[in-house]
Amino acid sequence: MHSTLTRVQNVFGFFTSVACAVAAVIALSVVLSPQTPSASLALKNVQVVKGRPHYYSTKKEEYAHVRFDLDTDLTSLFNWNTKQIFMYITATYPSSSPSTIPPSEVVVWDAIIPSDYAPFHPNTYIHPTSKSMTKIKKNPKSKKTAKAYPHGKSPGIVKLNDQKPKYQVTDISGKIASRSNATLSLHWNVQPWVGALVWTNRKPYGRWQGLKGGLDKFAFPALKSSETIKKEDLRTETGGERNRGSPA
Amino acid sequence: MDQILEQARSIYEGEIDFQGQRLAELLQNLLLSISGVIAFLVGFTTQNIIHSLYIGLGGTALTFLIVVPPWPWYNQKAEAFLPPKKHKAASTDRRDLKGIDVQGLKLG
Repeated sequence: MHSTLTRVQNVFGFFTSVACAVAAVIALSVVLSPQTPSASLALKNVQVVKGRPHYYSTKKEEYAHVRFDLDTDLTSLFNWNTKQIFMYITATYPSSSPSTIPPSEVVVWDAIIPSDYAPFHPNTYIHPTSKSMTKIKKNPKSKKTAKAYPHGKSPGIVKLNDQKPKYQVTDISGKIASRSNATLSLHWNVQPWVGALVWTNRKPYGRWQGLKGGLDKFAFPALKSSETIKKEDLRTETGGERNRGSPA
Repeated sequence: MDQILEQARSIYEGEIDFQGQRLAELLQNLLLSISGVIAFLVGFTTQNIIHSLYIGLGGTALTFLIVVPPWPWYNQKAEAFLPPKKHKAASTDRRDLKGIDVQGLKLG
């Protein structure tokens, strides 16, 4: 500590130790905040049609288009150390030989729900507004004020009716029609400011309750001819990630 | 010219005395630890981690300000140098070392 330079080095060195210790305590403190996540997820409609993986492909595959209703209350996942949660809905279906091949799990829809304290990012989810709110939507300034939850609510509330999927479902075999015992389920990743990434828990851990609901059983229907279905009914939703590479 | 250079060296190196070094280290440990504890407690009670971040960084900035410059309170008990030798500079005569304290033993 005899000269300025050694004092700078000593203070900075001890600062890094203190910062690490405080971060560790913050990361551990999240186990104290109670969590009571609940959700209701219901399949609205599922259609299976034939399509091509890309324009020049000669191979035709079956694609399932899953529409769903979702009503979640994940507000308790937002404690003081939550930066954002990544929410996603998967369709799980058993394989052709369940004794040897594990079931397939396919993501149908996903969203990034940021905490109110997180800085604006163009990729984050914008919750659809009700019809009375469309005036605000037309305002060009509203892009930054648009939230990932309904007006007047808090992060973690998502209410979707007849939601289009973001991704169609197809199997590696190219056949998805008429498969039964499929499950639609809600999952999440809690991404903290500091600490561990936490996956969905359906079982309780200490003060954290497991997720209630957020499951729906269904079966993929038989193949429909693409002429009988309007193309508009098979559109997928595009998320905020389409902004990638373009100015925010 | 030499005097100006000497002054510049002294400002740049910012040397402090032995008691000052002890005090600086004590202040560094105390201030940083306390600011870390306050940062956590304020952030936890207000449930806003951004408060923790800025209190932690602010406390660190304050610690830098208090500990790093050679403030006068670090130079209160300057240790005096031994008087210069009166005879030959390179002398190894033991009489020159009379009365000097080496780890509790008087030489001579």
